[in-house]
Amino acid sequence: MTMRVLRKGSLKTAAMFGAGMIALAASGGAGMAAVSCGANTGQAATGAPVKVGGIFGNAAPGDFSASTTAARAYFDCVNANGGLNGRPIQYLTENDQWNPELAAQAASKLLKDEKVVAMVGNGSFVEMAVNAPTYKAEGVMTMASACAVSECFESPNIVSTNQGPLPSTVGAAQYMVEEKGSKNVSCIGLAIPDVGPWSCGAMEGYMASKGLAGSSVLLNPASPDVNSALLEAVGSGADTILVNLPAGLAIAFLKAAEEQGMGDSYQWASSTPLYDRTVPEALGAYWDGKMYVNAEMTPWDKGGPDAVNWLAVMDAYAPKEAARDSFSQSGYLSAKIFVDAMLALDPATLDDRAAVTAAITAIKGVTSDLMCGPYYVGEADRHMPNHAGTMVVVKGGGFETVRDCYEYDSPYFAPIFEQEKALGLR
Amino acid sequence: MRETLRALGICILGVTVLGLWLGAGKPASVLGLFIVSGLAVGSLYALGGVGLVVLYRATGVLNLAAGATGMVAVFAAWQLQDRGVLAPLAWGAGLAVALVLALGYGRFIAARMAWREPVVKAVASLGFALMLLGLVSFLFSDDPRKFELPTDKAAVMILGLRVTVTRLLLIGATVGLVIGIGLLLERSRIGLQMRALANNRRISSLIGVPILRVETMAWGLSGLLSGFTGLMFGDLVRLEPAVITFLVIPCIAAAICGRLASLPLVLIGGMTMGVVESLLTLSQPLKDLRPMAPYVIAALVLLAMNRGRALTFAGEE
Repeated sequence: MTMRVLRKGSLKTAAMFGAGMIALAASGGAGMAAVSCGANTGQAATGAPVKVGGIFGNAAPGDFSASTTAARAYFDCVNANGGLNGRPIQYLTENDQWNPELAAQAASKLLKDEKVVAMVGNGSFVEMAVNAPTYKAEGVMTMASACAVSECFESPNIVSTNQGPLPSTVGAAQYMVEEKGSKNVSCIGLAIPDVGPWSCGAMEGYMASKGLAGSSVLLNPASPDVNSALLEAVGSGADTILVNLPAGLAIAFLKAAEEQGMGDSYQWASSTPLYDRTVPEALGAYWDGKMYVNAEMTPWDKGGPDAVNWLAVMDAYAPKEAARDSFSQSGYLSAKIFVDAMLALDPATLDDRAAVTAAITAIKGVTSDLMCGPYYVGEADRHMPNHAGTMVVVKGGGFETVRDCYEYDSPYFAPIFEQEKALGLR
Repeated sequence: MRETLRALGICILGVTVLGLWLGAGKPASVLGLFIVSGLAVGSLYALGGVGLVVLYRATGVLNLAAGATGMVAVFAAWQLQDRGVLAPLAWGAGLAVALVLALGYGRFIAARMAWREPVVKAVASLGFALMLLGLVSFLFSDDPRKFELPTDKAAVMILGLRVTVTRLLLIGATVGLVIGIGLLLERSRIGLQMRALANNRRISSLIGVPILRVETMAWGLSGLLSGFTGLMFGDLVRLEPAVITFLVIPCIAAAICGRLASLPLVLIGGMTMGVVESLLTLSQPLKDLRPMAPYVIAALVLLAMNRGRALTFAGEE
């Protein structure tokens, strides 16, 4: 059975066994690929390596490694194209396995033992909440790519390329209010303090700011009973149900709604986890044209120089089975922005963490077709550069864009907008 | 029988009081929705609990790998269905996988620990569960996937809630299994041998009970029950390895309500847990305590059962 399954490509096994071989093959044929990376010299970097770290979470029940995989692919491409002024990037990654103790150990190993100059591409539910104080104490900047908890967006030394649940939930609610006339939205979130109440609470704040009604139904991730949450949402008097759950749980929730035949009685929206290539098939035809989903990065098929280069880099330098999803886009973009900042830095200071941190902090106004708004860092106690997105609808076994890039509007973003004014971006 | 009826009465009374308290001011139809929804979840707990009790009664093993065995069954069935295998064949294959896993564990691992303390046997089965969970998590990516049965599409309205035929099938199967297995254990020779074995393995072997055969049958029956439970969990809860594996924990709470012996009490306990958990949703301050409900109920049952009994560290006196 195993071999048959391997051919299907639905397993991790192939990715894990194939990664080394494919990376080797890719490094041999790097010059052949139509990719653009770093200085783009076509010459492999040979100097002393510059150490960069990354932490991802990959264990049951989820795999957030797509961001570090994409960052690694880009760094490999950069190393094959001149590196950072002739010096290759040595990308050291650790798996926190969703374990806070392992997450702390990983950060300690990378920051104190390996003395990495920056963290790039981090993707986890756990490590940011655990390590945010460490990053501040160590004076290192973390350019994360797959964030989901509040600490990732409300810490001075972490900046993420992806949106996370809060902006995406607000964005989905905003679309439903502005385009579908929603008056009362019930947000179904996870009963995890820094995730569900935080993101659904901001959605309630948005609804209140518009004089409309919003409520939250928080679901215990371990609870087998999603029906009660559905009934609670119905009991709230909502006309729109906004699902803000990991894809597996969201699909179980929507299956319960399908059982009750509620597809046409309510309007349905979701934050970004449902923007996944496998979701339309898992949802089935019932949800075709009914489920509106917010995408935190631009749609995969939108095109543009970075979108094309991202896929070319993934094809040339990442395992064939590696995900080409939003986290992958985000990991690629974090790595690219980091490399561009380092190429502008005095090569003599590349090993100086303080200089690298200052260079990252100075990043502002970087644009990319993978993101709807400009990327920036700046000195602040919070960072959320990505707060504009795209709305798609599940259609014909895939997704169809229904509203292109739009900026989200919520009282939560007031301090972010102030930062952008101070940086001259607004 | 008297004890079962008394427990049923207490549970109905408790649920009614809780429903009236938490549902005060809400239309009866809303209350009905939550009760029916809770019965559906409770039947999942009860089904899992029945499988645990059947094996425990026969072998003295509290099989913490029951959830993991069912999880492997439903993933195998899903994979085969995804590959285009005819659905009934895929379900059958899932059940066969669970049967093989249970028999393999029972015959080659559990049998070697037959004389060890119950807690050692239980912990060993937990190790087996974690191995199965690790294997499936390694083999299958975390892509969202859905396991469906044809009966999901048909439904009837009960107290305003649309209840699918799958859920009715589950409730019916649970009640049917409680009656059927109860009769098997009480009336048949193999049932008698199973009970004898659970009561005293040493004496059973002395009086000629074919231990290996009886235990193999118990593990086989348990494997099939785990497989069926896994298919139901995969369909009605969600197809995620860790979630299905650890659903065995509330099922243990249901089994404890039946003192790991009485199948009707497991059924009543499981259903009560599901309904109480569902009704707690109606209360803003209490709804966060919902996941605790099965264990609080099990603890209350244990306290009630042990009233007037003297317990020592060595066991019951």
